[in-house]
Amino acid sequence: MAGIVAERYTGASINRSEDPRILTGSGQYVDDIKLPGMLHAAFVRSPMAHARVLSVDVSAARTLPGVVAAFTGADLEAMTVPGPDQLTVLTGGGGPTPEYTLLATDKVRFAGDPLAVVIAESRYLAEDGCELVVVEYDDLPPVTNASFALDPGSPPLFGNLGDNIVRPHSRHEFGDVAATFAHADRVTDFRIDVHRHQNVPMEGRGCVASYDADLGVMTFYTATQSVHFSKICVAMRLGMEQDKVRVLAGDIGGSFGLKIGASREELAAAAAARAIGRPVKWVEDRGENLTASGQAREESFDVRAAVSNDGDLLGLDVKVVIDTGSYPGMGTMIPGIMEEMLPGPYKLAALGFESTAVTTNKAPYVAYRGPWASETFVRERALDLIAKDLGLDPLEIRLRNAAPRTDPPGFMITGRPLIGVTTRESLERVAQVVDFPAFRRRQAEARARGRYLGIGLATFIEAAPGPRSPDAAGDSAGGESMRLRLEEDGIVVLFTGQMPHGQSHQTTLAQVAADEFGVPFEQVRVVVGDTAVVPFGFTGGSRSATLTGGVALHGARQLKAKVLDFASHLMEANAQDLQITDGSVWVRGDPASAITVREIARRAAAGEFAAGADANLEVEAAFDGGEAGWSGGSHCAIVDVDIETGLVTVERYVVAEDCGALINPAVVEGQIRGGVAQGIGAVLLERSAYDEDGNFQSATLMDYLMPTACDIPRIEIEHLQTVPLDTDVNFRGVGEGGMIVAPPTVVSAIEDALSPFGVRIHEQHLPPARILELVAAADSGQ
Amino acid sequence: MKLPPVDYEAPTTVSEAVALLAEHQDEASVLAGGQSLIPLLALRLARPAVLIDINGIDDLSGVSAANGWVAIGAMTREYVAEDSGTVAGAVPLLAAALPLIGHEAIRSRGTIGGSLAHADPAAELPAVARALEAEFVVRSQAGERVIQAADWFEGYLTTSRHPDELLVTVRFPAAAPGTGVSFQEVARRHGDYAIAGLAASLTLSGGAISDARLAFAGLSDVPVRAASAEDLLAGEGPSAELFDEAARRATEDIDPPADLHGSSDYRKKVAAALVRRGLRAAAGNAAERQD
Amino acid sequence: MDITLRINGATWTGSPAARTTLADFLREDLSLTGTHLGCEHGVCGACTVIVDGRPVRSCLMLAVQAAGREVTTIEGLAPDGELGTLQQAMWDSHSFQCGFCTPGFVMQATALLSAHPDADEQQIREALAGNICRCTGYQSIIDGVLLAAERARHR
Repeated sequence: MAGIVAERYTGASINRSEDPRILTGSGQYVDDIKLPGMLHAAFVRSPMAHARVLSVDVSAARTLPGVVAAFTGADLEAMTVPGPDQLTVLTGGGGPTPEYTLLATDKVRFAGDPLAVVIAESRYLAEDGCELVVVEYDDLPPVTNASFALDPGSPPLFGNLGDNIVRPHSRHEFGDVAATFAHADRVTDFRIDVHRHQNVPMEGRGCVASYDADLGVMTFYTATQSVHFSKICVAMRLGMEQDKVRVLAGDIGGSFGLKIGASREELAAAAAARAIGRPVKWVEDRGENLTASGQAREESFDVRAAVSNDGDLLGLDVKVVIDTGSYPGMGTMIPGIMEEMLPGPYKLAALGFESTAVTTNKAPYVAYRGPWASETFVRERALDLIAKDLGLDPLEIRLRNAAPRTDPPGFMITGRPLIGVTTRESLERVAQVVDFPAFRRRQAEARARGRYLGIGLATFIEAAPGPRSPDAAGDSAGGESMRLRLEEDGIVVLFTGQMPHGQSHQTTLAQVAADEFGVPFEQVRVVVGDTAVVPFGFTGGSRSATLTGGVALHGARQLKAKVLDFASHLMEANAQDLQITDGSVWVRGDPASAITVREIARRAAAGEFAAGADANLEVEAAFDGGEAGWSGGSHCAIVDVDIETGLVTVERYVVAEDCGALINPAVVEGQIRGGVAQGIGAVLLERSAYDEDGNFQSATLMDYLMPTACDIPRIEIEHLQTVPLDTDVNFRGVGEGGMIVAPPTVVSAIEDALSPFGVRIHEQHLPPARILELVAAADSGQ
Repeated sequence: MKLPPVDYEAPTTVSEAVALLAEHQDEASVLAGGQSLIPLLALRLARPAVLIDINGIDDLSGVSAANGWVAIGAMTREYVAEDSGTVAGAVPLLAAALPLIGHEAIRSRGTIGGSLAHADPAAELPAVARALEAEFVVRSQAGERVIQAADWFEGYLTTSRHPDELLVTVRFPAAAPGTGVSFQEVARRHGDYAIAGLAASLTLSGGAISDARLAFAGLSDVPVRAASAEDLLAGEGPSAELFDEAARRATEDIDPPADLHGSSDYRKKVAAALVRRGLRAAAGNAAERQD
Repeated sequence: MDITLRINGATWTGSPAARTTLADFLREDLSLTGTHLGCEHGVCGACTVIVDGRPVRSCLMLAVQAAGREVTTIEGLAPDGELGTLQQAMWDSHSFQCGFCTPGFVMQATALLSAHPDADEQQIREALAGNICRCTGYQSIIDGVLLAAERARHR
């Protein structure tokens, strides 16, 4: 039976090759780039949420010493090619396409909407210049919530759309929804609200654009999750041939879904650089990042659940409205994934799903780690609420509803096969580690003393990348390519389109390739971040462990075959009799025959080959994901709620996870813990707040509160022995899971803590004041 | 988020500083620790014409005790006051509050005088100063005057310091024997400004409360004393019932502000909890200090 | 205005504008880009450096205020390329992911361990609560500091 290929490196927590530069401050982030003659950009941004722009006067800014140029939205229209955002075109979810200009011209649509750019010798001077730009606005009524946006009377944000619906209402049914609901013992309905919050990577968006007029080439340095996506966006907007744009990325300070494609500001900086003839840097500050880079998760759900008296969740009927903010982003794509994922790992027989997406005068909706995650929140909340109604235990109801793992596999009612799903095992492992009965005793004692402890549980699966759909030829996230080359100095180089921003690919891919090829870890180098040398790719969707780990494995195998073929000529042996171990090629059983890989490479490069030998020691590998599969797990949180202050302490957090075979356990655990921290942050601290006029209220880190080392407990992680699906590649992704399932886990624990007050929770954000409101409302029978 | 253009002066003596203040008046901002002022400048919310950086004035730092008072130079860094044995021994309420101010790196630069001159009602030191009736010594070209804490805090980020005056010293009365203190705070995270905070000091004499001080942070645009609660406590023996009643009195007439971090009602509820907890802790500490 | 200060053991003279923060002076004038800007309003700690032995947010100090001071940045901890005890322990503990917050954490932890070489987990958490990391959930960073403390004790 195939299992993990744990030779020297795969499966071990090898120290990262990224760290020596990270730990000494020698990382190269985009703001560290200095080019000769480089200028700095700053943007003039609308303070109004919704207004017509009557005039923009940059003349005073232009005269400020140190300001080299100032461009209005209209100027930029003349410098760029109009058209929709390319990433949305590539990934868009259907629905009408709003028309708008690169920087705002006739209208501003959210507080922070950029309308002009000032380019100066320093960022200080550029900001000074921005203050001299005079804009005349004519206020328009702001559309700041989804229900107003749904109203045909709300002023349309986009002139070419008659209303504010950017993804029209649609409804799909799976299974016999009507019959399921008609025959169910009980039907409950409730509303679930997920609040707006956002990525907040420690490094914001940014770029340095440098145009060489003689060659007609744009070199674009950026912080991104895909240099190729950036290239497509830059080339289109600047009306350039793709091969005249080179995108480079170095170290990236986190992203979590934010830095994909090229933002309007980056494109404006690129156009400005070309017009001025000097490199232009734009790096957003924290205020811009919070206000304008984009936000996520503002979704409201009306849920009906068809349930048996014994706790079977028979059917769900869910209506969601997504508030996608102003400019198009990921918001219209979300409903499709939510719908597909809603059944989760449960035996759901029927699903009705309706969705609408609206545009409002807030920052655009962007992808944020597990963008569809609210489906897990809804489903897990539903189970907890049903369990409470029926007097069932949260573990019991989940075990009851978990789909059994069968061969052939069962299917989610929405189509995907539930192959290799270990929900039951992860729930049982959590129960072993946590000892629920002991907690219940401690909880009772604490309650007697006026202390409110609670325990919460949730389970999930994520497509990482997910099993093949029965009707799809290949992996739904597109295959993965890699170029592998044995360089003249004996280094095995992997060229990948992955763009790590914390995922440690330069380490993990090298581990896999080193093991498969047969060289020491130090003899493998992973090259990322240059459209001139890496194949198309992107980092996202928790797909890289399988797809890139897999292509590295298969690619290394192919390269090895090529190298052995070449070596066979040199060594006058059959290739099948040769092996590569620890950096040397030798004839099996004859250690004295060893020649180092380095020596082989040198000879190939030096032209020492016999007739018929292919000395080009390079392969282009592709991988479609193999048998792929789900990742998943169960999480449990124990909280202590202070009902006098509403402050919540997460006392203990336990994870039982299954992401298949692990390439580097420390990397996997880091990803899980980081995701859980974001989930805890979302529930207890983080909210992107707007007032009813569309003024943004969380524009500093004093208002948008990030979890700190005093907010996140030790997170205990159990790794499950996985169900292998593929002969070789059983690594599965894990990047998004923590963030997907932590919010319902923590909310569930808080609800359990407050159950003496009869509290039921239908929302995700529970700051201290809200906790006290819930207790008071339940007390007074509301 | 870059600072706006501003002129800069770095006087090396108090007289130079006050001469500059006389010249520039409210067009000038005094730069002490910078932990509150520099963010305001970076956000371009503060737009002074000139920064008067007093970090170069040597005689503005130091902690000294005399005649039942502890005098702290305005430029004394918060971490220095935190490490001061004199402060720990003689002004325990200040010692209790200092570790709650932001984070260590803030306290490396932040100053006692700077924090009190900035007068953020959600900050810890204003509540301590108000509770203890600290004295503020300001100097101008006209000379020196002393302002009582009750008169120092005028409004949100506003003190009674005239634009031509420099705060040079803050004086705290030394705690009487038998005094116990507590600084309680509800903050969203460790190190944050208080959503509501309480500086509490109880002096016990023969088993009864001879002096009670309660000052709130974060409940108004200035730190406020809970006068009616203090009156209730005076002369009584500590008990849970007494403290409950004190909490009720302390919060019945307040009208705290609402913001992103809490509604008015929430702050009221929390304030009551802080009074109960603060009095319990202060009474416990007082019992320990009786000698 | 001309200022002279000591940076990482060397004497530097420069002429920053009064409004230039120490963080920007380090990054732009001295090309010491290891110190990062995460918020520029004193909350995230990514810009933390050590000034006269104390951790300081360099975005909340004017460059001119560093005149005559001794400043240590992340680049100053391993000048010969050999990682110090803390850096090695953090490497061995997989403390970081994207690395953007790292210099601030390393400097803050360096200051902590100088003053409190036997800091326990709770003290470490409180000391690091003024530094924000978005990637790790902090546990691995704390483990790195604990490991460094333990190794320093056994040396």
